[in-house]
Amino acid sequence: MSLMYYVYVATFTMLGLGVLFTLYRLVRGPSVLDRVVCLNTLSVLLVSAIAVEASVRGDTAYFGLMVTIALLGFVGTITAARFAERRAHDRG
Amino acid sequence: MTEGVIPTTYEQSESTSAIDGNRPWYRRLVARVPTVLLLAAMWVTLWGDPSPGTILAGIMVGTLCYSVAKLPHFPVRLGFSPFYATKLAGKIGLDLLLSSTRVAFHVLWRPARVRGAIVAVPMRTNSDFLLAMVSGSMSLITGSLVIELNREQGVIYVHGFPAASEAEADRLRNQIAHTEELLVRAFGTRSDIAELEARTPAAAERTEEGTA
Amino acid sequence: MTAADWTTAVLLPLGALFALIGTIGLVRFPTLLGRMHAATKPDTVGLVLLLLGAAFQLPGVGAAAPLVLVVLFQFVTVPVLAQTLGRVAYSRGETSNDHLVLDELNEAIELAKKDAGNSGGEQDR
Repeated sequence: MSLMYYVYVATFTMLGLGVLFTLYRLVRGPSVLDRVVCLNTLSVLLVSAIAVEASVRGDTAYFGLMVTIALLGFVGTITAARFAERRAHDRG
Repeated sequence: MTEGVIPTTYEQSESTSAIDGNRPWYRRLVARVPTVLLLAAMWVTLWGDPSPGTILAGIMVGTLCYSVAKLPHFPVRLGFSPFYATKLAGKIGLDLLLSSTRVAFHVLWRPARVRGAIVAVPMRTNSDFLLAMVSGSMSLITGSLVIELNREQGVIYVHGFPAASEAEADRLRNQIAHTEELLVRAFGTRSDIAELEARTPAAAERTEEGTA
Repeated sequence: MTAADWTTAVLLPLGALFALIGTIGLVRFPTLLGRMHAATKPDTVGLVLLLLGAAFQLPGVGAAAPLVLVVLFQFVTVPVLAQTLGRVAYSRGETSNDHLVLDELNEAIELAKKDAGNSGGEQDR
């Protein structure tokens, strides 16, 4: 039991640090594509965190949310990337 | 800057509807069954219990989605070889792990020095589906990313990530060719495999010309 | 602790470590393409390990089924993402040449331009 406690603390700490690093790159930029990549990474990290949370409680209440975020993250990233391409073409 | 020169590869090919036109309605229906079953399977997985009611609802929702969204049906002919499929799955899994570890190492050790290379790899298969699978599995594996796919010439341009020299670029090229071969042998029809074998020496020559 | 607990205890931190290293790469790599590699792929391995580790703590196979679905989505969507982003990055000219040993796509584009010039007509889409 106590080992599992430390395992969960370590996992959540690493995921949280990951979110911080991703936020740093999200704010710094420099390119729009960097930000798009960061948003996708954030959604993946969120999905991971939900899975770990479910494992802590042995409860699958948030799984619908998890699948939805996984899909929305993908659709959003693709849309943003295509939009970035369109804008570059309009300018050039 | 490069606009107009890079050919667009995303456009939906017209061939699907052209093939459809010549077929009787029941053949068209049969061709659509796998996709509906796949959608139904996803539905059942989401609900988490395989009761008859869920399966029936899944098939109904799948059919509805299908008719509303006009999804493409599965590519007509496919072969399947369990031996090569297992080998392929093992290779992709191992590659994923190994190259992830490699990129992880470079993240921690002097990331500013890491170099990449964009290599052109001529494909030996001409099937749309197999080409998509090759480029898909290349992009899935860490350390390689398909940047451009020239459909007419059948060449894919891959960005290999930790690639410090021409020799490493060559190794990347060989690895991609190997993945392609496994994929074609696992999922290609007999004619696809024959095409692959027929083109193998020619492809090697073309690669050498490219690097010279 | 049961065997399932031990498996979880190994897989969860390992998966989180991969995810963390991926995001460190996102901060440290100097080129856009490098950052894409770091962000999209160790993340995938990390996610798969994490979900596998989490699956061992769930009450049954039916409960773990959505996890399989998420992994499947990830395997399908990561290549599409990587390819779209790579293509957009290249066509925007945001790939820095200093960090490329070899660029055969550029060679091919130059060749195509020369061909178009020789035949006299402007090859436009």
